[in-house]
Amino acid sequence: MAPDWLHTGIAMADRRRAAGSSPVPRPPQRQTSGADFLVQAGVRTMMREAVLKLVETRPEDPVAFLADYFGRLGPGPAGGAAAADLCPQLPGQLRLGRALWYLKLAHHSQRTAFNNNLTVAYDCLSAGGKKKKPGLNGKLYTDLLTKICHEGDLPKEISSALLKKIQCRDHEAVPFDVFRYGVVTCFVMMEFRSKADTLFNILDEDSQSDQRVCQTVLDTLKEALVASDLSVPASYLEAGSKLGPDCLAVAMDRALLGKKTGVPMSRNEFLKEACSLFLDKVKPMH
Amino acid sequence: MAQDSAPCTIRAPVPLQLGDGKSELGRPGVYVIDVTFPKPLIVNEISFKNFYTAFLTVRIQQRSSTHPRNKRWRTCVRDLQLMPNPHTEDSAQEYVSLHENQMLCATDHVISMRLFLRQPSPVWTTFSIEDLQINPNGRQRPQKGFSWWLNHLPPKEQLRSLSKSLPNPERVSSEVQQMWVLTEVMRSNQSSASVGRFDVDGCYDMNLLSYT
Repeated sequence: MAPDWLHTGIAMADRRRAAGSSPVPRPPQRQTSGADFLVQAGVRTMMREAVLKLVETRPEDPVAFLADYFGRLGPGPAGGAAAADLCPQLPGQLRLGRALWYLKLAHHSQRTAFNNNLTVAYDCLSAGGKKKKPGLNGKLYTDLLTKICHEGDLPKEISSALLKKIQCRDHEAVPFDVFRYGVVTCFVMMEFRSKADTLFNILDEDSQSDQRVCQTVLDTLKEALVASDLSVPASYLEAGSKLGPDCLAVAMDRALLGKKTGVPMSRNEFLKEACSLFLDKVKPMH
Repeated sequence: MAQDSAPCTIRAPVPLQLGDGKSELGRPGVYVIDVTFPKPLIVNEISFKNFYTAFLTVRIQQRSSTHPRNKRWRTCVRDLQLMPNPHTEDSAQEYVSLHENQMLCATDHVISMRLFLRQPSPVWTTFSIEDLQINPNGRQRPQKGFSWWLNHLPPKEQLRSLSKSLPNPERVSSEVQQMWVLTEVMRSNQSSASVGRFDVDGCYDMNLLSYT
């Protein structure tokens, strides 16, 4: 006599055969279990988050973006739900890494996406561990800024000058506005430096950067930066007109007529000068 | 004097209506506002905020310069359309500024002024103009005359005779402008929020405090 389970097995097979050999009409409980599985494993939430981030960020290469996204999600305990909910379990360094990753997802000019990521990063950083009280302290904030500058290949000299202005002391509580300003300033500074680098390439086309011309361009930029004042809209027109191709060309031409120094300006020198123009405008923390 | 808001007395709008205003069901389509000046003046500008007025006519009373007794009324603005379509909301609440060059006659020696507001559409329960100013002071007026930088755009001849060894001004300009914009992005993100430091350059340092 066959055991019981064999009987049931045969009976089920019979039933399945009776229902027709076509695989199309699947047993109903299997369908629900599929949906249940997705819900249980948090795949739905995870996919939704991923697609949301994708739509927010609109990267040039969506596949690479998603691969990176899921790669990040994989090993950590953040198995799908919003990062902010899961960050408390992470130690400081990991939280820092995750916050930085969020900040880098979108460029700062993509306002909505970047602002969302800022919020998530802030929440992630300020979610204290089990013993600690929630809130972002100056140490973690400064660490984050240092890391941003470091990964953006900012030279030590410039990044320390920048950090000196915007960092907070270790014990200080960092409000969101300060956090946003600090982070945005770091990212903008890096972009400013790369723009200055491109500018130097243009000025140095035949590797003959004339010190006078470089200096004139920087001076013109400085004038424009000093002139532009948020409360006087017309000042922007004035600053803009100074930076127009015509005015710049005339200024550079005049510079060439001036006394020749003969010393070409080095790239580092130029970048340093340019960055100091930017740094002058950074408002120190208070 | 032209820059200051001229002193004047503005009367409340008076509806022009047949019959008794309270018992009649129809709403008035014309309001009249009288403005009187303590002494004759030149009207350079009339500014106000519209409130659902479709057409405006302005008449001024002038005192003759030769015969001060003679006074005459002239129309300086006739049926100026303030709303492109009286039945719709467009431009219904716009700020309007009428300058001398928009007026039909000379506007000197004005001793009083009468504004006729018309609204043919029955859609609106009421209409008027607000914040009426004659020759308003300069707080919102654009700067007169151009700044030096607009007058001193480099002439074409100068641009043609530039040295050939110059770097491409177009590209230089584009990069420099982007750098400028980036600085402005940073500045616009500055907030008034602070981490709440009270000290000046570490004057609250523990060691320092313990000595004092």
